[in-house]
Amino acid sequence: MSAPANAAAPGKSLARSRPRYGEYLIKAILLIAALVSIATTVGIVTALVEPTIEFFSEVSLGQFFGSTTWGPLFNPPAFGVWPIIVATLEITLIAIIVAVPLGLAAAIFLSEYATPRVRRICKPILEVLAGVPTVVFGFFALTFVTPLLKDWFPFLELESKNALSAGLLVGVMIIPIVASLSEDAMTAVPNGLREGSFALGASKMITSVRVVVPAAFSGIVAAVILAISRAAGETMIVAIAGGFKSVFTLNPADEMATMAAFIAQAGSGDASVGSIPYKTIFAVGSLLFIMTFAMNYVSARMVQKYREVYE
Amino acid sequence: MSQPNVTIRGPEVPNTPGSLDPVFTVEDLSVFYGDYEAVRNVDMMIGRREITAMIGPSGCGKSTVLRCFNRMNDLIPGAHIKGKILYHDENLYGDHVDPIEVRRRIGMVFQKPNPFPKSIYENVAYGPKVNGIKRNMDTVVEEALTKAALWDEVKDKLKQNALSLSGGQQQRLCIARAIAVKPEVILMDEPCSALDPIATTKIEDLMQELRQEYTILIVTHNMQQAARVSDRTAFFTAEVDDAGVRHGRLVEFDQTTRIFTKPSDKRTEDYITGRFG
Repeated sequence: MSAPANAAAPGKSLARSRPRYGEYLIKAILLIAALVSIATTVGIVTALVEPTIEFFSEVSLGQFFGSTTWGPLFNPPAFGVWPIIVATLEITLIAIIVAVPLGLAAAIFLSEYATPRVRRICKPILEVLAGVPTVVFGFFALTFVTPLLKDWFPFLELESKNALSAGLLVGVMIIPIVASLSEDAMTAVPNGLREGSFALGASKMITSVRVVVPAAFSGIVAAVILAISRAAGETMIVAIAGGFKSVFTLNPADEMATMAAFIAQAGSGDASVGSIPYKTIFAVGSLLFIMTFAMNYVSARMVQKYREVYE
Repeated sequence: MSQPNVTIRGPEVPNTPGSLDPVFTVEDLSVFYGDYEAVRNVDMMIGRREITAMIGPSGCGKSTVLRCFNRMNDLIPGAHIKGKILYHDENLYGDHVDPIEVRRRIGMVFQKPNPFPKSIYENVAYGPKVNGIKRNMDTVVEEALTKAALWDEVKDKLKQNALSLSGGQQQRLCIARAIAVKPEVILMDEPCSALDPIATTKIEDLMQELRQEYTILIVTHNMQQAARVSDRTAFFTAEVDDAGVRHGRLVEFDQTTRIFTKPSDKRTEDYITGRFG
């Protein structure tokens, strides 16, 4: 809607000549787009709250957090939630041990070492990894990684479904998150800092490790926390390769069900609406939601802090 | 010619060109970015414990030349040189030369103060640590900050983040950081262009102090600054060759007093009297 060339000529009013309907329409569409995700979050919370409250009116908090036997689908049912919390944390920990060093190394390589050409080739490959459906990772863990680990490390006495393979593949799944977000944070570090370091006789490695990584630290932490949230909520890989058995154990060679795996199992089973197993799904879902929400909150605060440094 | 209205340092350097004790000898230096020849055929000498200023209009290649002296241009893909820069008779661009070793001897201060987002102490200690110095770090830090005329202002807050300092203090911190690795030469790339006049004066005073111990090269687009602080001045300009390509050229290199009172080249005279640039 460009103004005619003589719009500024004397005698013509500066008032808007025509209403800009297109502007209003676009504003409305953008607002709706923003509202959808907010509404979804609110919807999820609302849907979780009611069955969760009902659950805790029948099963006490003491039973939930005070016992280490988990079997809401058994007869008689047991509601000690610790085995699935421990399994979730353990698989997340294994995943982080895999993803942080590899993801960070990849980020340092891409941001500090790679020539533009190499970066142009490597980054899409990394992004392809992020696009692999998690069910593929799950079957890869079950049918390739577990047999391989059994072969190489027989003393581990791996069960055919186990936390180790599941954790390793969850780790591989979140490498792109760590690498890509950390690389963004490192690329945002002003070039003047690198020059300052090089001018003092520092090598590329020292500059990367002592200047760039610390300067990008809060951004990197945010990336790792986001990756942890994704790992904790990952379902398909742990369901396929980690199994559904809930035993209170720390041994990664054992089969263990995570919170997400339990939800998938119970949700796809025959728990009738309104029954206790049905409500358990929501209680576990609430707990998982609170855990990941807390981590995302920390992550958001980190990103905020990170922004303050350079703006 | 009409006299430029600037203060000019007294003729402290010996008058005869032969008396210059060279730290650097630049021989027929051309600098390329890829195929583009940014600076063409520079010959000059940098005297020991003198301040050499490089002036000229934007795009004349003065910063490009400055960055050859510590091989910072190596970090730009495609950058290379022809010709020679001798540093005490050793070719800086010889095959055996390690650019990292070069940068340990030849420090640099940048246009925009660029302290690391670490504590004041860590900023100064960074260079010595990187260069393998571990003992007496407190002494090293205090000495460098004292030489940079910053110690009294920061001695009670060494653990504070360097970014909490003012721009002028940050720039002096960057000078302290460069001094801490005990270089022989300090390159300064428009060190005052982001600073206010008071901070600028402090840096200029500091340069006079540092001149007792260090060889200083300063790029500045401020002619008055060159006249105030330097012993010798190199005037660069940009020229378009027959093929229509712009190259930076060194027009005249002489004692600052001569450059500003009786330049031998018409282009220098035009520039310093403000007729162009």
